[in-house]
Amino acid sequence: MAILTLENLTFTYPNAITCALDNINLSIERGEFVVLCGESGCGKSTLLRLLKKQLQPKGNKSGKVLYDGVEIENLDERTSVTAIGFVMQNPDNQIVTDKVWHELAFGLESLGEDSDEIRRRVAEISGFFGIGDWYHKKTCELSGGQKQLLNLASIMVMQPQILVLDEPTSQLDPIAASDFIATLRKINEELGMTIVLVEHRLEEVFPLAHKVAVMNKANVLMVDTPKNIGKRLLQEDSGHKMLLGLPSAVRIYQSLKADGECPLSVREGREFLQGYKNTYPGFDVQDEDYSNRKKAIEISEGFFRYERDTPDVLNGLNLTVYENEILCILGGNGAGKTTTLKIMSGTRRLYRGKLRIWDKKIKEYSGNSLYRRNISCLPQNPQILFVKNTLKDDLMEVTKLMGYDKAQSQQKIQAIAKELEIEHLLDSHPFDLSGGEQQKSAFAKLLLTEPKIILLDEPTKGIDAYSKKILADILYRLKAQGMTIVIVTHDVEFAAEHADRCGMFFDGQIVSLCNPVDFFSSNNYYTTAASRISRGQYKNAVTVDMVVQLCEKNGRVNGNG
Amino acid sequence: MRDKAFASYHPIILFVYFTVTVFITMFTMHPVLLGISFVGSIVFCGTLIGVKELFKSLAYSVPILIIIALTNPLFSHNGETILFFLNDNPVTAEAICYGVAIAVMIISMYYWFKCYHAVMTSDKFVFLFGRFLPKLALLLSMTLGFVPKLKKRYREINEAQKAMGIYTSKSYVDRIRSKVRVMSILLTWSLENSVDTADSMRARGYGLKGRSSYAIYRWHRQDTVMACIAFALSAGVIWLMFSGYGDYNFYPTLAKIDVSALAFTLYAGLFILMFLSTVIEIKENLLWRYLRSKI
Repeated sequence: MAILTLENLTFTYPNAITCALDNINLSIERGEFVVLCGESGCGKSTLLRLLKKQLQPKGNKSGKVLYDGVEIENLDERTSVTAIGFVMQNPDNQIVTDKVWHELAFGLESLGEDSDEIRRRVAEISGFFGIGDWYHKKTCELSGGQKQLLNLASIMVMQPQILVLDEPTSQLDPIAASDFIATLRKINEELGMTIVLVEHRLEEVFPLAHKVAVMNKANVLMVDTPKNIGKRLLQEDSGHKMLLGLPSAVRIYQSLKADGECPLSVREGREFLQGYKNTYPGFDVQDEDYSNRKKAIEISEGFFRYERDTPDVLNGLNLTVYENEILCILGGNGAGKTTTLKIMSGTRRLYRGKLRIWDKKIKEYSGNSLYRRNISCLPQNPQILFVKNTLKDDLMEVTKLMGYDKAQSQQKIQAIAKELEIEHLLDSHPFDLSGGEQQKSAFAKLLLTEPKIILLDEPTKGIDAYSKKILADILYRLKAQGMTIVIVTHDVEFAAEHADRCGMFFDGQIVSLCNPVDFFSSNNYYTTAASRISRGQYKNAVTVDMVVQLCEKNGRVNGNG
Repeated sequence: MRDKAFASYHPIILFVYFTVTVFITMFTMHPVLLGISFVGSIVFCGTLIGVKELFKSLAYSVPILIIIALTNPLFSHNGETILFFLNDNPVTAEAICYGVAIAVMIISMYYWFKCYHAVMTSDKFVFLFGRFLPKLALLLSMTLGFVPKLKKRYREINEAQKAMGIYTSKSYVDRIRSKVRVMSILLTWSLENSVDTADSMRARGYGLKGRSSYAIYRWHRQDTVMACIAFALSAGVIWLMFSGYGDYNFYPTLAKIDVSALAFTLYAGLFILMFLSTVIEIKENLLWRYLRSKI
């Protein structure tokens, strides 16, 4: 019998005209790994929250959610707390206490277990998750990945029957994210835990899933095995926004309109490509000539550290950003990427070395002149740019600082809002917007200062594939207007598709800096999935589109393609 | 962090020990007792934070000691042994001694608190209250976890606002305005985030009846031994102090120091009590060296 069944589930938020979930039927068997995907705002999170009695949102609900044949509302409190474990998106916000051991014990304390029982269970779970080393640490000293692992462990310690996760890796860097996914896999395989996961980043999750449910607006479009989803989704809805978010192997398969089994992982993708000839071995690329371009930002021999006694974060950094290019800076956590951005935006100063902006020393920009019609910086969390109660007031504030009068302000704001398609959001509270909308609104705020250089810190963090495409469109438009864009990111796929140059940050320096094709095809480990799939078969194919292009040109081995 | 030898005792013992030492220091003006407390606190502090750090802190505290000691005779003119006149006011030897005693008391308390801080980490403190007031303990623990988060967010917002170039001019009004803005965002943002925290608590059963309080501290045999010794010593010392052996008068002339058998017992008892912590700390260090040399 299914462990979890949704029967004709319909849900409407108070004061909403359309329903958030419309007549959903879904059943999840014991031990299944189910991935739920869909564009932002399609009701995935609402659906997950309805699975847990304590987290159910207020609104009008009809239909049933059955756990083990019993309706969720009728479960007694204790069972509903323990049986269904829920992990949320933000690692920081879920942590309640100040010490790791206390956080692990929190749920068991609520259940009123005695100290010996808690000690035994906490010990067990620490062993399973490898928490032993940081058991005595303060929670604020942990890295993002460790925090999320702790959140997972402190749910698992209550011995749930089913684990529900709402985008648990969206705030993590790729390495921490794959560690987290690997742990989920271990839980599923070794413990037979039932897992329901909502995720944007499907590259690694897709091959693990037993079942994938694709959601459309408010309803479930299809539920099937990942392989069949790969096959069916394009055929049944060629305009579905989820198509962009599927793993590279699936997208290659779909774009080629191939038949046969759909590849999911990189390994399967490589096998799949064996079915294509390689008469045309690949692309030839050349670095663009930048010698005639103006230098927007130039850092030479830059040294920086946060405290006098801490090691250097920037260690003789040399970096030149040319006018009107999109430069992506990649690299591991703590390599100094974000610090570089802070240096460029003038919030931190180098203790040795030179920083020139438009061939002028940064010190020579007095007062606010650096931030007016020159440099603008989008922080990792766009939320922190908003102060006022409506987006419009927030934008007005900037135009006032820029010295426009009322009529001019109105006009400027309307123009920007139209360009970024946020006109309908102007009267809402900035905190009520979705991640993608917030980002666009933050962009509007930046663009009102009419910058020539835009610095972006992790702009693709936590947004879905479709929003990434919109972001890329905005960036291209800005570039066409002559802007220089510097992006710090972990997202190799995004960098490969949209950057003019990519730089790898390591140990406080840029270790390689060239065009994305050379960059990713010469990297063996730190590279895109498409590049890993096509490696050996084709040269210099680093994005899905490039691989598809080559395949089409070459044709199938024993066909006339 | 690995606990030091003395810190590995049960939090209740540590708490009572520090309470007793601080209170004894606070309620006596007896030069011998204060001297014991002074040396005891500084030596123990040295074993905990290291000699280098100790000298660093002494560089601050010795001048303070001198200042306090010299301030008293300027305002108090009691005492019979007049040394000289300052602005027609007598400066007496007794007043100077009294000032020194007060200064020594304050500095010893400072060092006892410094030791307390090094030994009683926040979770031990939370644990102590958790036994009687589980709700308060959780609140404390949450607050301690929240403060660093708040600080981090504040920095993040401040930098983002700076990079927007909003109110970064040098004018005073603008600076205040900018701080107000940062605070306003911080508040909204934190409230927004705390909704998640509340959800996370509810999802893990917060609010169910019969909440228990888990502690990683257990009572060992060494705790029983320590409790007996410390209790006997403190009881003796406090009893003798109440019996008047801890009294001392600075005015009108310095009283003679009591050298009777019982007074000596008091000095010795306090000495052992106050150096107990240091001895445990040093003994453990030596033991480690000895054990290592055996390998």
